Parts: sequence; structure tokens; C-alpha cells
Amino acid sequence: MNALLHSAVAIMTPLLLAAMGGLFTELSGMLNIALEGLMLMGAFSSIVFTYLSGSMIWGVLLGIVATMLLATLLAVVTLNLKSNVFITGLATNLLASGLTIVLSFRLFGNKGVVVFDRIGSLPRWDIPLVSDIPVLGAMISGHSPFVYLSWVLLALSSWVLYKTPFGLRLRAAGLHEKTLVSLGLSPSAYRFIAFLVSAFACAIAGAVLTLNLGAFVPNITSGKGWIALVVIFLGQKKPLGLLGASLVFGFADAFSNYAQGAWNVPADFILAIPYLFTLLAMVIVSIHADWKERIKR
Amino acid sequence: MNDRMDRRWKRFLGVPRSALGSLVILFIALAAVFLLSFLLSKTPARTLRYFFIGPLQNTYYLGNMLNTSIPLIFSALGVSLAMRAGSFNLGGEGQLYGGAFIATVSAVAMAGWGIAGVICAIVLGAVTGGVMAAFSGYLRMKWQTNELITTFLLSNAVSLVVGYLIAGPFMDPATNLIATRKIPESFRFSRILEPSNLSSALVMALVMTVVVHLYLYRTKSGYELRMYGLNPRFARYGGINSGSYLVLPMFLSGALYGLGGAMAIFGTYYACMKDFSVGMGWNALAVALIARFRPVAIIPAALFFAYIESGARNAMLHSDVTFEIASIVQSVVFFLVTSSVLQRIGTKRERG
Repeated sequence: MNALLHSAVAIMTPLLLAAMGGLFTELSGMLNIALEGLMLMGAFSSIVFTYLSGSMIWGVLLGIVATMLLATLLAVVTLNLKSNVFITGLATNLLASGLTIVLSFRLFGNKGVVVFDRIGSLPRWDIPLVSDIPVLGAMISGHSPFVYLSWVLLALSSWVLYKTPFGLRLRAAGLHEKTLVSLGLSPSAYRFIAFLVSAFACAIAGAVLTLNLGAFVPNITSGKGWIALVVIFLGQKKPLGLLGASLVFGFADAFSNYAQGAWNVPADFILAIPYLFTLLAMVIVSIHADWKERIKR
Repeated sequence: MNDRMDRRWKRFLGVPRSALGSLVILFIALAAVFLLSFLLSKTPARTLRYFFIGPLQNTYYLGNMLNTSIPLIFSALGVSLAMRAGSFNLGGEGQLYGGAFIATVSAVAMAGWGIAGVICAIVLGAVTGGVMAAFSGYLRMKWQTNELITTFLLSNAVSLVVGYLIAGPFMDPATNLIATRKIPESFRFSRILEPSNLSSALVMALVMTVVVHLYLYRTKSGYELRMYGLNPRFARYGGINSGSYLVLPMFLSGALYGLGGAMAIFGTYYACMKDFSVGMGWNALAVALIARFRPVAIIPAALFFAYIESGARNAMLHSDVTFEIASIVQSVVFFLVTSSVLQRIGTKRERG
């Protein structure tokens, strides 16, 4: 059980990070389906830069820059050339998937899995006092720094979104953009920043995937960006909701990994569980919302 | 969320098309091919030659290119039907795969039925895709569950389960491939351009395009569907049973995906291989978007898409680039295709 909770937290981290980035674009009024592509770009560029620079910190920082460049392209085309955000998002995903493979072929002469054995594994941090608490300690202690970074960032983004004038304006861009226009502010500018923030968070989310593995696998994100989008809706677009929803998904994933080993169930069957589980959660949340709506009336 | 999205899609559908704007987009896409060839290839001239001329150089490559477009046409029609009714169907990948699997398995089981078996198997495949999509439509009708997400989740789950069934209980022990048994030879569609893979399913794709066009623009149900897609509230005041337009278009959409999968099996593959359909659902979505959900425009859009893919495949076979340059070129097209700024180049009147 302890191991299950521990891996649930590890699995949820990239989802939480990507969903957090997506929350900014979602609240600014853009359906950002490019989370998947941005994450993939972050995953590839951060491990390549880590390999080239020999430092994980530089690798992640440069990975963030590369991912933000891709997001700039997305934002310029969507906002300045006034394209449909759904299609440009799809284009970003396609571009990231093609570009990472083409670059990997160009740099390493390999279209498949690229293993970077020079890169050490991520450090594990034990939290001094917390690790002694029975269940909770096993759950939240002994993770990579990224896990704790994601919580700090969650608190930070919650503060930015709900306690600063900037956050208020960003949310206004999504709720009622005319308000912003009447104040002489540009909704596009806030959406542009939201895209960059989502790229920042997705880049770290992607870095978690590759640096944990010490390798780049083509399309390593495998739908995690989409799941992050589900997490946003499931979490009712609230920071704490994101935490809960991504933990639910992380737990479902961890459980299916465990079941695979324990009961010898076919792998494909097991891999389907998180999707069905999330689908069920989606339905329950919408029934609940529908029910609340009816009571109000 | 749906209200907000509706407005944006309406703006997209209403954007005036200008020939000049489309030419600019085409030009930028071609420039991207040149740029990529010079950057990535040691023999750019050779790469470019195979990319552009390769798909057209003989009947083999031409036929295969046309064949690639067949499932794309069916599936893109599916996307468009749902979209015109204001629903998102993102589960095409699984609906196509599931439909193809059920069609194959039933064809194998009904080997002795002759032509009735062919029809039954294809219908079953279509129904499989249809039911999957209609389920999401039902959830939206009943509890406003976001269909964009439920179709996607269900599709992923079904794809994995189908993958398990193909690799497990339904695997053909006679081959080394991870695939089901092959459908009976008498069930297979005829080849119409030897030596290529092109099958008579192409004719069915064209017929289906006309059928969907007539349905949308010439029938009462099609009119109501479009009206519901444009403005659900207005449609309800007009006396349209709005609930059914959340489920019916989704069913038809999924059924077309399932049909696309069945066509790929009966025309090209003959057996359902594991993960044969990966990417097809997404490509179909892209084709439908380029065609702006207009059935007749889907044919050129699908051909264009197939051309880029076969061009890249040719360049990969005969030169030193990887196939994935296709997705880079396709992404360039997507980035630009809905830009209302580019579309307005050359139109005189500036609208909203």
C-alpha cells in the first residue's frame, strides 16, 4: 500500500505540472490542446541539453527556453494571425512529434529510443520529520526534487491567479474579455503570457519524464497532455482540484501497474484502467454538477 | 465552455475564403519542404525530386497514394457530421480501430454467407464505431458531460482492449504478425489499379461523400442538424428535438469512422493488425479541419494530405530523410490554414 501511494505521487507529478500550465490558458479563455506537444518538446529538449551541457539544471532551463519558443510560435499564430486555437494546438502536437524524431535522427542517427547513459539518475530527497509519519511519510517523502517543485509551483500559481491584479485580469480575459478592453488592456497580451506559462510548466513536466528514465522514447508523453486536460476539467479549474484530480489519476495508474505484477492480467487490459477510471470520474462529476444545478432551480 | 467554443467555430466557418490567401499558405508549406530538405538532407535535390514527383511517377505510387486517402475520406466525413451539429468527436482513433476489428472478426465468422456476410460485417463495424460515439453523445444529453473528453478517453480504453484481443484470443496462430485471421478471399474488394493497393473502396468513398453532402444540405434532418449546430437555443425554439441532435450526429460520426476502418480492412489489409490505425483518427480530424467540415471539400483535402505523406515516404525510401518530415509540413499547413488574417489577403471588405 505504501509503495502504491508513493508511486501514485510520482506518476501524478508530470500530470499536475502540465495541468497547472493548462489552467492558465484555460482561465484566459483558450482551450489549449497543445499541452501534449509542449510536454514532448520539453521532454526531448531538456534531456538533450542536459546531455550537451552536462548539468541537469542547465538542461532543464534550456529545455524551458526551447519549449517557450514553440509556445511563442503557437501564440503568435493563434493570437496575431487569428487562427483557430484548436487547430494550432493540433499543429503544435504534430510539429513536436515530428520535430523531436527528425532532430533525434539528425543528432543521434536513431529514430527509436535514445539512451543517455552519461546522465546520472535524479536525486531522491527525504523530508526529515515527515518521513517518520506512518502512511503520509512513505507517500510524500523520498521523491525527486521535481515532485516538491511541482507543489511549490502549484502554491505559487494559485497565489498569482487569485491574489494578484495580474491573475484577476488573466481570468477576466476568459470570463468577459470586454471588461479588459474597456479598461484599456489587451486580452491577447494576457493570453500570450498564459501560453508562455503553460510552456514553462509543460517543459518541466516533460523533463520529469525523460530525466527520470535517462532516455528519450519517441512520443514519450503518450497522451499525458490530454490526461492533463482532463485533470483540469475534473479538478473544476481550481488549483486544489488539480491536485486531487491528478492524484486520483496517479493512483489509478499506480494501481494498474501493481495489478499487472500481482494478478498476471494482460498489460493492455491494465493500461485501459486509468482511462476507464477517469471516464467514470468525469461522469460522476458531471452528474453531481447537474444535480446541484437542478437544486438551485 | 460550449457557448464560448461555438462562437469561435462559427467565426471560423464564416471566414471568407480568398484564393490568394490559400495560395500564400500553399507557398509557405512548399517553402517549408525546401527548407527542410536543404537543412536535413545531404542530397537536397534528390530529396525534393522524390518528395514532389515520387507520388505521381507511376501507377504503383499513384494508386497507393489514392488508397491512403480512402479511410481518411470516410473518417473526415465522420468528424464533419459531429462538428456541424456542434459536437466534438475526438475518439475517432478508437472508433476506427474498434470498427475495423469487429468487421474483421465478423467477416471471419460469417465466411460462408457470401455477399450477405460482407454487408453484415461492414454494418457491424460501422455500428461498433457509432455506438461508441453515441455513448458520449448520450452522456452529454443526459448530464452535460463534456463529449470532447469522454470520446477521447473511451477511444483510448477501447484501443487498448482491442489490442489485447488481437494479441490474445483472436490472434492468428498461422502468422508471425500480431494480427487476426484474414477475411475470406471472396470478401475482399477488387484491386482497380494494379500493381498498386488501390481498391474499389475508393468508389464507395466518393459515393459516401455525395450521400453525406445530400444528407446535410437536402434533407430535413440534415437541415435541423446544421441549425442545431449553429444555434442550439434557436433550434429548440424552432421546435427541434434538441436531445436527439446530441446523439444522432455522434452515432453517424462514429459509424463513419467504423466504416473507414472496415474499408481499410476489406480493401487493403485483409486482417486487423495490432495498432494498424495509429494516427488515422488524428489525420482525419486534420483533413476535416482543412476542408472546414464541408463534405465536398474533404476529397481534395484528403488527397493533399495523402500526397504529403506519400511524398515523405518516397523521399525516405530513395533519399536520406526520415518519414516524420511529413508531420512537420502538415503542421505548417495547420498553423496557417485557419488564420483569418491570411485568409483575408486579397479580399476587399474587412469584416468583424
